[in-house]
Amino acid sequence: MMLSHIYGLFTSPREEWRSIRAENCTIGKCYCSYVFILAAIPPVSGYFGTTLFGWEIGGREAIKLSPDSALIIALSYYLVMLVGIFSVGFMIHWMGKTYGTEQPLPRCMSLAAYVATPMFFVGIFEIMPILWLNFVLGLPALAYTVYLLYTGVPVMMEISEERGFLFSSAVLAVGLVTLVTVLAATAILWGSGFAPQFVD
Amino acid sequence: MNDQAVTYNYKVVSQFAIMTVVWGIVGMLVGVYIAAEMAWPLLNFDLPWLSFGRLRPLHTNAVIFAFGGSALFACSYYVVQRTCHVRLISDRLAAFTFWGWQAVILSAAISLPLGYTSSKEYAELEWPIDILITIVWLAYAYVFFGTIFKRRIKHIYVANWFFGAFILTIAMLHVVNSAAVPVSIMKSYSAYAGVQDAMVQWWYGHNAVGFFLTAGFLGIMYYFIPKQAERPVYSYRLSVVHFWALSFTYIWAGPHHLHYTALPDWTQSLGMVFSLILLAPSWGGMINGIMTLSGAWEKLRSDPILKFLVVSVSFYGMSTFEGPMMAIKTVNALSHYTDWTIGHVHSGALGWVAMISIGAMYHLIPRLFGVEIHSKKLIETHFWMATVGIVLYITAMWISGIMQGLMWRAVNADGTLTYSFVESVQATHPFYIIRFLGGLVFLSGMILMAYNVLKTVVRGKVVTAAIPAPAAAH
Repeated sequence: MMLSHIYGLFTSPREEWRSIRAENCTIGKCYCSYVFILAAIPPVSGYFGTTLFGWEIGGREAIKLSPDSALIIALSYYLVMLVGIFSVGFMIHWMGKTYGTEQPLPRCMSLAAYVATPMFFVGIFEIMPILWLNFVLGLPALAYTVYLLYTGVPVMMEISEERGFLFSSAVLAVGLVTLVTVLAATAILWGSGFAPQFVD
Repeated sequence: MNDQAVTYNYKVVSQFAIMTVVWGIVGMLVGVYIAAEMAWPLLNFDLPWLSFGRLRPLHTNAVIFAFGGSALFACSYYVVQRTCHVRLISDRLAAFTFWGWQAVILSAAISLPLGYTSSKEYAELEWPIDILITIVWLAYAYVFFGTIFKRRIKHIYVANWFFGAFILTIAMLHVVNSAAVPVSIMKSYSAYAGVQDAMVQWWYGHNAVGFFLTAGFLGIMYYFIPKQAERPVYSYRLSVVHFWALSFTYIWAGPHHLHYTALPDWTQSLGMVFSLILLAPSWGGMINGIMTLSGAWEKLRSDPILKFLVVSVSFYGMSTFEGPMMAIKTVNALSHYTDWTIGHVHSGALGWVAMISIGAMYHLIPRLFGVEIHSKKLIETHFWMATVGIVLYITAMWISGIMQGLMWRAVNADGTLTYSFVESVQATHPFYIIRFLGGLVFLSGMILMAYNVLKTVVRGKVVTAAIPAPAAAH
């Protein structure tokens, strides 16, 4: 069961990466038994957070989203994460040759999927949609994600630590570019009539 | 033969290198202070010269022209001598550019807090200082191109092309944009009016980014990355294509600063299209840098300077992707006037410009003073502090920027605004605190650098480096 790796990723990441590598999981299994489940945490918490609790600004009544509107956002959020993991995994596979390693695509996918674990879990806090609080709670998760990336790349891609540092930095740059794409896409959609509906 | 003909001029290079560190700290300190003022406005103590409006141009001028400018002077003087195998054409004029540039910075540091400003962003200095800048810059151009003309290596290395483009374009931009009618010794009015003035200003403003903060620093990249990695540039052909494509495209991108203004719509669209095209040459350069570094992996363990260079090129790639995205009109409609812009500028300024300058200075200073760096461990610490600082800064600004954009445009069913402006300010407050902390961490890294550099230079003195004898066939 792939979820069993979660504990190890937080206690002894280096050993856990080795056991993940030994598993040689397929893309289908990796998505079905890990990504589909964990990637649902942020959108589901976000859905309940924005429809049930909302956020308060300046002491007036909490602002909430209408359930229909929140559902559309939660679904696209989920989809963006699935596609995001896939594209980062694909880019890891594609960039491998530059860093002297060619690993099968499924292994690169599980690398991308497991690296994102802390970000999936911290998504639980979106049940309280207070932006700055989510941000402050998200920072340690982000830091741990980056740590997992730098420890995971040398093990999963079977290269030295130094080569891994360069490779991981390239993956990080790809991740940042993906993030900026999502930001820009959000802005374009929002400006083209897909803005959310608020409850008065 | 006398000394002058067989040695390089390292004196002026070392002066500029030291001032890079000094002005870096001063400029970033002012930046951290105004970041604190944004979070806690009472820090201006009701003193006009401590107010955000006066300190902000001081911050931008200090980091761009004092810190970045000193790094560019130091590196271009070093690179042009080393790659042309010849001493600078004139020691006296080179010394004049050093003292002249410091005089410009000091006049800025005095006149801006006193409230003298032309009100043009990144060109705030009043006309007498503008004239001084022009004179110093012409001397700089003479020293640089004069040295190229008397070179003993036939080929002009690509870094020098980037430095040359930077020097020429900045001369043109500065003279055209600063054209003004003086009414008194410290007051003038722009030679242009209305939207023409705005267009000239952002033609200047965006190319200050494109040529001062990009082309010049690409010159640094093309020399110091191969040097530090001890490998040739990944593709020299790509570097030449990169140079011409970048020089041609950048100059047209300025109108994206004026989306949805009185500027004719077709001009805005033209600016947007050129901004999108700009992604291609920018990424050509990034790929060249990354691929050159990717072969030097075995040196990473012993060389923390390489880490600065790796991260700087990654940030160059990220921010040159973000820029074109933000130049798309629909995105700009949301992002303009928000903190997203500030975040974007700093991922370029801290991530790319400052990181590569810091890497170049750590490479340069021990070589100029003929000693090993005092502590490699401190460089490593500095690297992590700089990275953490940038990440805090940029992520805080991304989120607060998007949030501001969305709050400002939210409307109720009856067409009224959902949020008042002050509510968006209140929602931004926590992010201002995080941004301040990020800046503080980055500044602390710079102070560590100053300590490391000080401990290094007191042990050595500026070396007299001999110029290699020309190859027999030449």
